[in-house]
Amino acid sequence: MTSPPAAGTFMLDGRQVEFREGESVLAAARRHGIDVPSLCYDDRLEAFGGCRLCAVAVKGVNGFPASCTTQAQPDMEVETRTPELDDLRRTLLAMVVSENGSERLAVDPLRGLASQELQEAVADLNPDLDRFKGATSGSSRPDDANPFILRDYDLCISCYRCVRVCAEQEGDYAITVAGRGFGTNISVEFDGHLRDSSCTFCGQCVQTCPTGALADRKAMRFAQTEEPPPLPTRKERRT
Amino acid sequence: MYSNSQLIEMAGQQPAPFLWLLDQFHRRDERLTPDAMRAIASGLRMPLADVYGTATFYHHLNLGNGSRSNPRVCTGPVCRLRGSEQWLADCPQAQSMACAGRCDVPVPILQGDSTHRLTDSALEAAAKGPLPVPNPGGLPECIFEHIRQPHQATYEGYTARDGFQALDAALDSGPDRVLQTLDDSGLAGRGGAGFPTGRKWRSVQEAPGTPKTIVCNADEGEPGCFKDRAILEYDPYAVLEGMILAAFASGAELGFIYLRYEYPELLTQLEEALTACRTVGLLGPANKLGSDFDIHIRRGAGAYVCGEEGSLLNSLEGKHPFPRNRPPFPVTHGYLQKPTVVNNVETLAAVPHILRHGAEWYRDLGRGDLVGTKVISVSGDVQRPGNYEVPFGFPLSELLYDWAGGPPSGSNFQAASMAGLSGGFLSANDFDVTLDEPSLRSCNSMLGAAGIIVYDDTRDMVDETRVAIEFFAEESCGKCFPCRIGSRRLRERLDAVGPDTDRDEWLDEVNDLGRVMRNLSACGLGVAASFVSDSLVRNFPDQLEQRFEAPE
Repeated sequence: MTSPPAAGTFMLDGRQVEFREGESVLAAARRHGIDVPSLCYDDRLEAFGGCRLCAVAVKGVNGFPASCTTQAQPDMEVETRTPELDDLRRTLLAMVVSENGSERLAVDPLRGLASQELQEAVADLNPDLDRFKGATSGSSRPDDANPFILRDYDLCISCYRCVRVCAEQEGDYAITVAGRGFGTNISVEFDGHLRDSSCTFCGQCVQTCPTGALADRKAMRFAQTEEPPPLPTRKERRT
Repeated sequence: MYSNSQLIEMAGQQPAPFLWLLDQFHRRDERLTPDAMRAIASGLRMPLADVYGTATFYHHLNLGNGSRSNPRVCTGPVCRLRGSEQWLADCPQAQSMACAGRCDVPVPILQGDSTHRLTDSALEAAAKGPLPVPNPGGLPECIFEHIRQPHQATYEGYTARDGFQALDAALDSGPDRVLQTLDDSGLAGRGGAGFPTGRKWRSVQEAPGTPKTIVCNADEGEPGCFKDRAILEYDPYAVLEGMILAAFASGAELGFIYLRYEYPELLTQLEEALTACRTVGLLGPANKLGSDFDIHIRRGAGAYVCGEEGSLLNSLEGKHPFPRNRPPFPVTHGYLQKPTVVNNVETLAAVPHILRHGAEWYRDLGRGDLVGTKVISVSGDVQRPGNYEVPFGFPLSELLYDWAGGPPSGSNFQAASMAGLSGGFLSANDFDVTLDEPSLRSCNSMLGAAGIIVYDDTRDMVDETRVAIEFFAEESCGKCFPCRIGSRRLRERLDAVGPDTDRDEWLDEVNDLGRVMRNLSACGLGVAASFVSDSLVRNFPDQLEQRFEAPE
């Protein structure tokens, strides 16, 4: 696959950089090695603009637009890090951590591919983990006894990457956003179990979850065995 | 009573079928059953999970054991001043609803499709709100020019004066003349955003893609705002003429009125008005515009955020009503990603008057360099609540003391909310402001949709702030993190303010929550909540400090 041609250049943190046709500021920045933090972004999905951690300062634009939903434009001047932005992001991340409490921030990497992203953002921005304490928003479904996907929504931060990957990549539309505001939760129809829905247990949702709220039960079971079982030899596989 | 398949078939013949079906099934079954949601999902080829998830977003849809006919008692900020929470507690089968847009005649109770008014002494039918009183200053008006004329709300009454004359003239002179007059008039969006109307219509006219759409935003959900209700009740044809002119000027073929759930009587009245317009060839196939332009009413289902245009368009399309990322804007990518005008009721109602009288006339209605007029809803602790049309730049004190009659006898004004609740609370010390954005912005507030709730000196502004923040927390959609988490945390802080609270930490957190919400929220809802909490800290520090002190 060839990448689209450069469509122009813009100023990014004082550097003149090229961007591609239709590319967002966030995508261009990451391609040029500038790490703009984000929790709701997955480059396979349509940009959502939910977490707002990727907010940037754009010259001539009021406020701080989300860089994931801002198209790069010729002659745009963007700052990804200013003292004010750093401070706003750090405070926002403290709010995010407060949503489920800081106690369960560390999760087993075997839960899923992206499961360390929240911790990594915390390590990067170093927010005060004890601020903004209050009610937690999670609503785990320990009753959903399917063997593949652990629905540990007590860790959920409502980025909806799972819902979006299910629709946009897998085409299953099995899960949805239910409720509103702080009470939002991830659900199948009628608040039921995955096996009664159109879920195919493909695991895409597990692998895009940035907090480990969705986890790969098979991988975790594997980790719980003392010694990994020896791989079958080629001869054994043939028989 | 229609069967599932009959309803699905009827829905298939019209645009924006999802909201229509939700309402029909909700009426038929008194609640939204899993069977109905399955029928909608298969009928509209939507994922069942999404039908369910989107239905759970709306306050008024009963998915559980409740019934559509259960009474809903308004617990908006004004109705709470009248004790509505107590009434709600006394009535076990009732449920609470957010501000229902009847702050001039509190407390409304919505039951099925009818509204009643509950007062200390009686429960009475209240199909319509009060007519705006004659302009107390004797000033020339635009929106209310004819609203008090007898039978203005009927086709015959509307056309007996100069109704549809602006349209007839426009049909003679052409769309560009309409756009030019609007540009010259300086008319800007009266829902609060203030975008120039002529420019919006022209952008849609010039944008590629059909069908183009006109949406009248009648989802008046801002607490303390009830102006759109009055305009639609007493001068609905002015709004329809404005929409037809918008369609003519921009080349639109499709029109919607997105009407809030809490105005059921208007649903009937507007359907009748649309029928009258179709009968005389103003709407429908091969109409006087030479198009097939028609208008469809879609009823919201209870969600403040749907007054935000991106949410409104998603709601119309049957999607989850999250705000949309902008750009692109609705003028190029609106309803079904086609060019779309979204205008507030008041904006549309102004257009026929401006076209008849001319741009110069409208400009001159404003004070100083300011252009035109604004309808302001005044309610709360004031002698004469109601809708008043004022020139931009009119003094707030003159409106509250002279026009609205001042505070109830024996008390003094203490505070007033601005932009409904979205502009936070002004202290009475700031009542020398004028009613326009530059003046109010200088007080860290805004005029917005122009609802003003007045509080006298018997009110506790910490409590009133809590009521306001509770509203925003309840209505936060859940899309963006700053608002979803911040509105909840602000609510908890306001619930907890007291002598056991660490004052410095409290202030530090509330200031930081507000700062993040103001700077990083994806739409105006989170910004508004920060205006409210900031205004408490800035304008009422004494009352706040008192809360931190131990009672004597």
